[in-house]
Amino acid sequence: MENANDYILEVKDICKYFPGVKALDHVSLSVPRGVVYGIVGENGAGKSTLMKILSGVYEKDEGTVIFNGETIEHTTPIQALERGLSIIYQEFNLVNTMTVGENIFLGRFSLNHGMRGTHKKARELLDSIGSSINTNSLVGDLSASEMQMVEIAKALSFDSKLIIMDEPSSSLTSEELKKLGIIINQLRDRGVSVIYISHKLDEIFEYCNIVAIMRDGCVIDVKPVEELTRGEMIAKMVGRTIENEYPPRAHFVGEPLLEVKNLNTRKLHNISFTLHKGEILGLVGLVGAGRTEIIRAVYGADKVKGHETLLEGKPVRVSSPKQAKKAGMALVPEDRKREGLILPFSVQNNITLASLSDLTHHGVVDSSKEREIAERQIEALGIKTPSPDTKVVSLSGGNQQKCIVGRWMERDPKILIMDEPTRGIDVGAKYEIYVLMNKIVEEGGAIIMISSELPEVLNMSNRVLTICDGRITGEFNPEEASATEIMDKAIG
Amino acid sequence: MKKINANSALKLLQQNLVLCGILVLIVVTAIVEPKFLGAANLNNILRQLGPLPFAALGMTFVIIAGFIDLSNVGVISLVGVLTMGMISFLGQVGALIFGILLGALLGYLNGLILTKCGAMTQAEVLFITYGMSSVYTALALLYTKSETLRITSSTKPYTIFTTLGSVSIGIIPVSLIVFLIVLVIMHFFLTRTIWGRSISILGGNKDAAFLAGFNVEGTMRLAYTIEGIMAALASIMLFSRVTTATATSGSGYETNAILCVVVGGTTLKGGKGSVLRTMLGVVLITMLGNCMNMLNLSTYMQTIMRGAVLVIAIWLDNRKEL
Repeated sequence: MENANDYILEVKDICKYFPGVKALDHVSLSVPRGVVYGIVGENGAGKSTLMKILSGVYEKDEGTVIFNGETIEHTTPIQALERGLSIIYQEFNLVNTMTVGENIFLGRFSLNHGMRGTHKKARELLDSIGSSINTNSLVGDLSASEMQMVEIAKALSFDSKLIIMDEPSSSLTSEELKKLGIIINQLRDRGVSVIYISHKLDEIFEYCNIVAIMRDGCVIDVKPVEELTRGEMIAKMVGRTIENEYPPRAHFVGEPLLEVKNLNTRKLHNISFTLHKGEILGLVGLVGAGRTEIIRAVYGADKVKGHETLLEGKPVRVSSPKQAKKAGMALVPEDRKREGLILPFSVQNNITLASLSDLTHHGVVDSSKEREIAERQIEALGIKTPSPDTKVVSLSGGNQQKCIVGRWMERDPKILIMDEPTRGIDVGAKYEIYVLMNKIVEEGGAIIMISSELPEVLNMSNRVLTICDGRITGEFNPEEASATEIMDKAIG
Repeated sequence: MKKINANSALKLLQQNLVLCGILVLIVVTAIVEPKFLGAANLNNILRQLGPLPFAALGMTFVIIAGFIDLSNVGVISLVGVLTMGMISFLGQVGALIFGILLGALLGYLNGLILTKCGAMTQAEVLFITYGMSSVYTALALLYTKSETLRITSSTKPYTIFTTLGSVSIGIIPVSLIVFLIVLVIMHFFLTRTIWGRSISILGGNKDAAFLAGFNVEGTMRLAYTIEGIMAALASIMLFSRVTTATATSGSGYETNAILCVVVGGTTLKGGKGSVLRTMLGVVLITMLGNCMNMLNLSTYMQTIMRGAVLVIAIWLDNRKEL
C-alpha cells in the first residue's frame, strides 16, 4: 500500500457529462509531490475539463478528488487557491490596468499591511523565481512571458503546492521558454508539483517527469517520460500512427506576386519584401517583434500610410480589409475566436462570410447557393461537423480553423496570410492544414505564414524572413539554414 | 428515454418561454377578471399596440448589431412635434414623408457620431445615445416652447393621421395593419438581405467582420438609420392616436422598447435575434400592462413588475448559454 501522502493530488474515477457528450470517462490520475506531471492529448481529449473540475469552475458528476490528503467534495476557484492549487490559464487572469505588485496580491493587500508591504513581498516572490520585473510596472505593458512570471509569483503567494499550467508556452518565444523551463525546475526543487499541459511534445520531453496521455475523455496511458518515444506518444494521442508531422515541401515558386516597399510605422522600420507565386514565405521573430503588425498593414487592417504595394507589378491601394479582399488577399488571423469566427453563428454562416456579396441578387442572399458553398468547403477540407447548421462554437479548434480557411478558399485567394495557422490545433488537424497550404501554392497562390513554432516554419516555408524589433534582419533558405542561425537573427 | 423526454420538454419550454408567459397571463387574468376576454378589452389591447411595436422593431436592429439606443426618446419627441408642425406647411402627405426622412436623418446622425467617436462598446454607445436624446428633446422644447401642440390646430387637412390613430377595419386598427406590413418587410430585410445579414454579423463579432472585408462603420450607421425610421413611425403613430405632441412625448419608449426586445428573446450580446420574437415580446408586455390595469395594480407596482420582467428575461437569456 502506497502512502497517500506521497501524492499531492489523487483523482479517482472522475466522470463529467455535458449534454450529448461524456467529457470525462472514469479518469484517474495520481500526481506525486515535487514532480512535473505532463498531460498531453488532442483538443477535446478532456484536459481542460479536468482542470476546470479541479479548480472548481465545473462540478464533477462522479468520482473523488483528494488534494493534499484531504477529500474534496465541492470547491470554488478561490477555495482551490487557498488550499494551494493554482491554475495559470492560457489567457492570463490579470488586471492589465494595475501594477505587477497589485496583481500578485489582488484583493489581499491587507495581508502585507498596505501597498508598501505588498510591493516588498511581491519583489521577494519575483526575486525567488529570478525575475527582475519592476513591481510598479503596469501589467498591460508587460510581454506575455513577463505576465506569466507574474502569474507564477501570484501562485506562489498563495503558497501553492500544485500549479497547473495550461498551454504555458503558446505565447512564448523559444528564449522565454528556456526561462520558463528553469523556473519550473526551481519549483520542483522546492517541492511544488507542476501539471504541465501542452500540445508541444518537445516541451513535455524536456520538462516533465511523468506524462499522462488523454484521448476522448479517457486516460490512455501514464508513464515516466523516459519510457516513451515521441512517435509512441503521438500514436497514443491520436489513436493511430502518424508517419510524418509535415508533408513534403512544395516547390512551385514562380515570378513576383506581391511587393511591399518601405513600410514604416512607429513600430516597423523600412519593411520591404517580395512574395512570389507558389511560395510559402515564413516570418520568424519573437512575439512583439512586429510580425503581426506587418501583415495587418499589408492587409489594410491597420491604418498605415506611405508604403507602396505592388500586385503583379502594378501598384494597388490597400487601406482596408475590404480592398485587400478585392485585390485577392485573405487573412487567417492569429486569434481564431476573437478575430476569425462569428461564434454565435453556424458553420455555414462562418464559411460563407467572405463570399456573401457574391451570392446576392439585388441584395437578397441566395440561400441555396450559400448551402452549396458551405457543403463544398466542408467536403473539400474535411470539416468534421454534424451539419452545416451546427453552431461553429461546438467544433474542435482544428475544425474551427478549417472553417476560416474554407471561408477564404471559396474565393480562390492569390495571397493567403496565415498568422499562427496551427495554434492550439491537435497533431492530426495540423497535418491537414499543412496539406491544404501546399495545395494552395500548387494552384498558383502564395502564402505568408507567421509562426512561433520554428520546426513548422522550417518544414513548410520556401523562404524565411527574420523580424526583430520591427526590422527585417535576415533572409534564409530553410532547406540550407539551421534553426540556430535563424533564431540568432530573430533574436537580434 | 424518460429523461430525454423531460429534457426536450424543458428545452421546448425554454425556447418558447414568451409564448408560455403570454398564455399563462391570459388564463390567469381571464379567471380573475372575466371582462378581460370581452370584445371591448380586446379592442383596447389592439389599439394600445400603436407606437410601441415600431420602437421595439427599430431597437431590435440596433441590439442585434451589438449596440443599444437610448436616443429614440428624443427622436420620437422631436419627430412628433416637427411633423405635426409641418402639416400646416407641407400638407399631410408632405409632413408624413418629412417625419420619416427626419427620423432617418437623426438615426443616421447617431450612427455617424458613434462611428466618428470610435464608440464600439455598449457602454460608450449607451452614453452617447443618451446624450443625443437630450439634444433632440431640447430641440423639441425649443421648437414648442414647452407648449402642447394639437393636431386640430393645423391649417391643412390631417385625415391620414386620424385614420392611422383611430380607424379600425373590423376590429383591426389601421395602425396595426401598417405595422404588420412593416414587420414582414423588416423580417425579410433582416433574414434574407445582405444588409440584414451584415447587421447580425456585426453583432456576432465586429473584428471578424472587419477582417472578412465588411464595412463595419457603414453597417453600424445602417442599423441606426433603420432605428431612426422606426422611431419616426412610432412617433407618428403616437401623435396620431393622442392627437397631441409635446417635447417629452417619447419618454419611456427606450426602456419599453428594450424590454420588449429582451423579453422576446433577442440577446443583448448581439448577433442573434429576430423581429418576430420581438413582436411576441411586444404582445407580452402590452398584455402585461393591460392585465395589471384590469387587476387594478397601481402605476408604481406596474413599474416594479416591468423592471422585474426585464431582470428575469436577462437572467434566463444568460442561463441559456450554459
